[in-house]
Amino acid sequence: MKEKYIQIIGTVVTVLYGVFVLFLYAAEPRSIEDLTVKAKNTIETATTKGQVVIGTYTVDKALFDQGLSEFRAEKYVAARDSFERADPEKRDAKTQFYIAYSYYRQGWGRVTNDDELFKKGSETLARVRILDPDLRVDDPDLQIKTAADLQHEFEEGSKITVDDLNPLKVFRQRK
Amino acid sequence: MNNIEQIELNIVESKPDELDAAPLASETANLTVENPARSLNAAGSDRRLTTFYLRYLLLPFILLSVTLFGGMRLDGIESSFLFLKPPLFCLVFAAISILMFFRAGVMKLDGWLSERFSMRENAANAVVLIALFAATVQVYNSLLPEVGVPFWVVAFCFSWSLLNYLLNELDPARLIRSMAGLFAFAFVAKYLILANLTAPAGGGWLRSVLENPAQEAFTWLLSLPRFAPGTGYIQFFALILYLAGLYLIPQKMQAG
Repeated sequence: MKEKYIQIIGTVVTVLYGVFVLFLYAAEPRSIEDLTVKAKNTIETATTKGQVVIGTYTVDKALFDQGLSEFRAEKYVAARDSFERADPEKRDAKTQFYIAYSYYRQGWGRVTNDDELFKKGSETLARVRILDPDLRVDDPDLQIKTAADLQHEFEEGSKITVDDLNPLKVFRQRK
Repeated sequence: MNNIEQIELNIVESKPDELDAAPLASETANLTVENPARSLNAAGSDRRLTTFYLRYLLLPFILLSVTLFGGMRLDGIESSFLFLKPPLFCLVFAAISILMFFRAGVMKLDGWLSERFSMRENAANAVVLIALFAATVQVYNSLLPEVGVPFWVVAFCFSWSLLNYLLNELDPARLIRSMAGLFAFAFVAKYLILANLTAPAGGGWLRSVLENPAQEAFTWLLSLPRFAPGTGYIQFFALILYLAGLYLIPQKMQAG
């Protein structure tokens, strides 16, 4: 009878140790402190992925609200960081829309736009259109409410046309 | 083990004439002599348990420790950990090695995995077998130089030796001795000879060239990675553990 338990315990312990070794080679920690941080991150990622699999994944409301207040205070880098932490799996269309919008507002310029930020915004927006093509954000602070309109702004802002030479362009307003 | 069990074992292991000569002072001893079959069973059961502990707990622990340390290096500048994944060559060499273990009779396949065993036994044995494969992969990962000409030279030597072992008739003890010799040679080549040809990490390029021109030249020519000296100690420990693991590998996993 005891032999049976030794076999079972041996198998379980070996599998756990094997998983630990695999984790080390996957995470490649540089030190013991790094190991702790990476272990914590792996557990958090595994938990989030598990939530996605079983369909209980939700956006972190507190982080989303924090991101929203930073967005309204025009702290776009901090806002993006909060939004990304609120939706680590990039599965919430509204959060991704705000991330894309933050790229638009940060990259918008009275004379020229930041093409790099517009490109990143456009990429994020492509994800929004996959997640929810009919998304409409009812935020009075935003003048652009849909992904299609925001995409239009990104495309127009990235083009070089004769209209760019119009000096009256400096009077246009950011949306 | 308590005193009664010790007395029982001593008597069971003694010859009958010694038993007659020995003063039977305690009642326990009398009882044991009256029922020798029970003592034999107890000793056999203890031995069987010890075997199980060795095969299903200690052996996988040793093999997985080799798996852990085999790819571990210490960075030459910061002495931080580096976990190097094994190249494909290591998997091929490990597969050939396991095949050789079965062919030479170090292990018998039907003694490890068989339809005669229960699902639990087969699963437990398979886990140990996987641990052995992983440890073998990592031993090759440890002993093969990481890149450049030395990698190809040592890989060729391993291929040549393994092919020879595979084509010749080998008994288990001879195979283990040959592999231990091969690994020892590879260890000396990598961690003593090549490590001594490697210029120390850190400091500027010009300073290294001025202070260690020959080492710097060898490092550059042979693409030698600059690891901390502690790496050699870790790999020595891993290699010794692996050889200890090989010593503990039974032909058949069925205890008794």
